[in-house]
Amino acid sequence: MNFKHKYLFLFPGLLVLIGILIFPVGFTVRLSMSSWDSFFPGLDYVGLENYFRLFQDDSRFWEAFGRLSFLSVTTVTLQYVLGFALALMVWKDIAFKRFFRVLFLIPMMTTPVIMTVIWKTFFHESLGPVNDFLNIFGWNPLWLSSEILSKVTVIIVEVWQWTPFMFLLLLAGLLSLPKEPYLAASIDGAGPYRTFIYVTFPLMAPISIGAIIIRLIEASKIMDTVYVLTSGGPGTATETSSFYIFIKGLREFQFGYSAALSFTYLIIMIISLTIIAKVLVRLMIRE
Amino acid sequence: MDLLAKELVYKPDTEFHLNNISFGMKKGEIYTILGRTLSGKTTLLKAIAGLVNPQSGRILFDGADLSRVPVWKRNIAMVYQQFINYPHLNVFDNVAFPLRQRGVSDKELKSRVYDAIERVGLKDFESRKIQALSGGQQQRVALARSLAKQAKILLLDEPLVNLDYKLREQLREEFGRIFTSEFSSESILVYSSTDPMEAMQLGGETIVLDEGQILQQGPASEIFENPATTRVAEITNDPAMNLLPGVIEDSKIVIDSKMKLTIPLHFRELSSGQYTFGIRASDISLSKKGHGFTVELAEISGSETFLHARHDDVSLVGQLDLVKNFNVGEAVNLQFDAQKLYAFSADGNLVSSPFQEFGRG
Repeated sequence: MNFKHKYLFLFPGLLVLIGILIFPVGFTVRLSMSSWDSFFPGLDYVGLENYFRLFQDDSRFWEAFGRLSFLSVTTVTLQYVLGFALALMVWKDIAFKRFFRVLFLIPMMTTPVIMTVIWKTFFHESLGPVNDFLNIFGWNPLWLSSEILSKVTVIIVEVWQWTPFMFLLLLAGLLSLPKEPYLAASIDGAGPYRTFIYVTFPLMAPISIGAIIIRLIEASKIMDTVYVLTSGGPGTATETSSFYIFIKGLREFQFGYSAALSFTYLIIMIISLTIIAKVLVRLMIRE
Repeated sequence: MDLLAKELVYKPDTEFHLNNISFGMKKGEIYTILGRTLSGKTTLLKAIAGLVNPQSGRILFDGADLSRVPVWKRNIAMVYQQFINYPHLNVFDNVAFPLRQRGVSDKELKSRVYDAIERVGLKDFESRKIQALSGGQQQRVALARSLAKQAKILLLDEPLVNLDYKLREQLREEFGRIFTSEFSSESILVYSSTDPMEAMQLGGETIVLDEGQILQQGPASEIFENPATTRVAEITNDPAMNLLPGVIEDSKIVIDSKMKLTIPLHFRELSSGQYTFGIRASDISLSKKGHGFTVELAEISGSETFLHARHDDVSLVGQLDLVKNFNVGEAVNLQFDAQKLYAFSADGNLVSSPFQEFGRG
């Protein structure tokens, strides 16, 4: 069929795409080339001035970015290991299999902000139950106000909240694995440990990569946990990129500059996640 | 006996998969387990491998009880009817898998893997992905893996059943060659099949299995010539042996009170009375002197025609050495070769066969 106006039918779809993606990104780029702030609102044109400021003078953004990289890689690694372990636990026939499967999913179903408030209460340094307990041994760790421990606290909360997601994806993957290689492996003399290393893990590689990438994308947006738990503190010890962009944009109302930060951040994330995905494929799937 | 099974019972639900099975097997021999589908063949092989745990009974290998040895510690290789391989590995790594598990040195591993791959005719396919192979080639990979392992017991569970006709014929021939000429005298080979032809072709010892019980055990030709019961006669012939109830009276065989046959020489010792007479499909031929039958179905297969015919209550299958279209309902005259008749007693036990005479009187 050769219908001259067939592209006309793509127009509604294109309209939606323009509305939700192309226009916002385009506007952000334009905004990043203005000095729009609370004192002088409006789309003036300052060229790449915001970008020069970002790359030359703003070490706080790059520190936040380094911290974000550390936090997301650490949390996703822990989520993967724990999620895989939990999924393996309820994969085979064990008692109360269904009960455990649901139980492990509960953290994911809770609202992150509310759970973070609860965690903050938990870890409260003078009133929280965690330190109440640790006081018995004479310990009083500063969960929220020590530079190192505050990062640990953020990691604990993030891992608790999102391991179930990893668990869910990996369990679905495990349940979809073919049974036959396991028959072969047991006959071929592979014990439980070797079966995991040589059969389960390689068969799970494609699913693992997908799950890790999805979680990395999500984890690189850490914002609510930090906002509620530590507000980026102490100092800037737990400040992440998105939290810093939030401060610049919605606390200090430097719209132009925060647009430049957002756009730069987007480009970096696209490049780095592509590289990470390629590296993971190379590492986990043998050709 | 090197492999001994003693009174194996496996009854996972209401039906017996293995019902009090005992047998002995010797190293260097080929054993064929012959039985219809659901007769317990797969369960028996799985029990030897350790994939199924019988509720009672013991399996001894070289005098040691295997019951408590987990599957992966038993030195056993198995090829299944489904083509089971590792989808994430190439051909070489698939074949090398069992050797890597046992820490075989790199040099020996390579020579054993290449040797096995060559024996199954997959040379130059080493780096292919499993999914890129045809069904027959996948099954060859599985076989190569079991050969490379040089296991003490090699179990083949209907390895040809899921292949197309041509390939089955070809592989069956190759299997025969691989097993007879190159198989180690240190190993036991157990082959399960529904096809009597395969049992005959592989030679060796045949175990006839039905409903979880061993009906007969012996050399393939012996079982073919002298099936102990009517059930064995059915299982060991394809198409199944025709079993016709009848009597011997006044020195005549009378089937269905109408068809009369002259009594053959090997029946001379049989007394008058009720019998079940057996005749192979291949011993039935078209003849003007034969008995009148009505065609119910005719299938042409290769250069033969399988004719399903009926005469009142007697229905039988003839394997005719010709290709001819018969119409349903057509009248044909079929003759039985009386010299090839078997006689079974009323309770189904063989009393006289063309190859041997049994219990007199």
